Amino acid sequence: MKRMTIRLTVNAEAREWSIAPGDLLLDVLRREGYFGVKRGCEKGECGACTVLVDGKPINSCLMFAAQADGRDVLTIEGVAQGDHLDPLQEAFLDHGAVQCGYCTPGMILNAKALLARNPNPTEDEVRDAMSGNYCRCTGYVKPVEAVLAAVKAARRRP
Amino acid sequence: MFDHVDSYHRPRSIREAVRLLHTGGRRARVVAGGTDVIVQADPTIRSLVDITQLGLSYIRKIGTSWTIGSTTTLAGVEESAAIRGLAGGILATAAAGCGSVQVRNMATLGGNLVNASPAADTAVPLLVMDASVVLAGATRRRTLPLDRFFAAPGRTTLREELLVEILLPIPARGGHWGWSFRKLGRTESDLSLVSAAAGLQVDARGVCKTVRIALGAVAPTPVRAGGAEALLLGQKLTVERMAQACEQAARDVTPISDLRAPADYRREMARLLVERALRDCVQQAGVTL
Repeated sequence: MKRMTIRLTVNAEAREWSIAPGDLLLDVLRREGYFGVKRGCEKGECGACTVLVDGKPINSCLMFAAQADGRDVLTIEGVAQGDHLDPLQEAFLDHGAVQCGYCTPGMILNAKALLARNPNPTEDEVRDAMSGNYCRCTGYVKPVEAVLAAVKAARRRP
Repeated sequence: MFDHVDSYHRPRSIREAVRLLHTGGRRARVVAGGTDVIVQADPTIRSLVDITQLGLSYIRKIGTSWTIGSTTTLAGVEESAAIRGLAGGILATAAAGCGSVQVRNMATLGGNLVNASPAADTAVPLLVMDASVVLAGATRRRTLPLDRFFAAPGRTTLREELLVEILLPIPARGGHWGWSFRKLGRTESDLSLVSAAAGLQVDARGVCKTVRIALGAVAPTPVRAGGAEALLLGQKLTVERMAQACEQAARDVTPISDLRAPADYRREMARLLVERALRDCVQQAGVTL
């Protein structure tokens, strides 16, 4: 098996990894210790493996690791600033939007990308944007509330 | 899953990409977004040819056409002001319904066409927009109307070529246009059970100057409903004629039964979606029936 090298940025740190040409980004990220990237359906349906690539949410199970060469990847491990949780993480905690937690990293990353491109989304826009992140514990009421609360909190901040 | 892949290429020119596909033969596969290639998990693939470094991600106006580079993502199509403003925005609407945000950020317009699913949602509006595809081979390019691009489920008429561009003619001036894309699926973003698109150009007397109707997921490929179009072309729109055209569209399709829907249901929904699409067009064109 031939190997190849990819150079990318993960959570603001430069990385250089040796991969097999057919490796999926999901497998490589988990192999490298980013366990916040969850393995779910492996078919691009459930969104548990969502990461941001150049700021855009993608399913890492549907991307070859080689496609990430030269790009900027953000996983849930890179969302908090030191001890300070991201406002979305705070909102998910405050609103009881986390049950088993398996879908949470993908939901938070997808919501983060949504707020970056649309800082003031309606509930419909939040639901639409997050339709690719499945929760199998309870549902979507609490996560949607949490995202909308984070929007409101951001508006209050000077 | 792709343990047998022994090379991942990122060619810098179309010529090099075509050469790699030629060398790799059946065991080489093009990767644009990768979302279909990965789900299909074909164990015979040995070589992946990534075409995203070829400068084919763009949306531009050239002369009397808009041209979309084949590696433009579905999200890029959906968000483009130009595409939203062209033909009632039906291509942007269809792109927005192709899977989740995560999928649309990777999946490409060219990929949706080359994958040749009978249910490819972008193909249906493209057919009524009279789109053509530009195919690049080792030495020459050819342009093909989109309805001659699809051959069978999962098969196109590509021959050691790359789909490089999609051309969208700007609709002719005169009279009033109406456009519609209608999709029936379990959810808005799910694969279509049936989809339909229509484009109508009507003159001041209510006579149809242009009639284009297309359907998805009811035949081996996305198809134009030629029989239904012929019943309306050159005619004044009436409730009866439109009903006849919808019946004709339903008679002409050849749906199959699969896990998503039985054939009879698909046929009936083809009739209904064409009816709704035509009504949308009539309303937009300002015709009173």
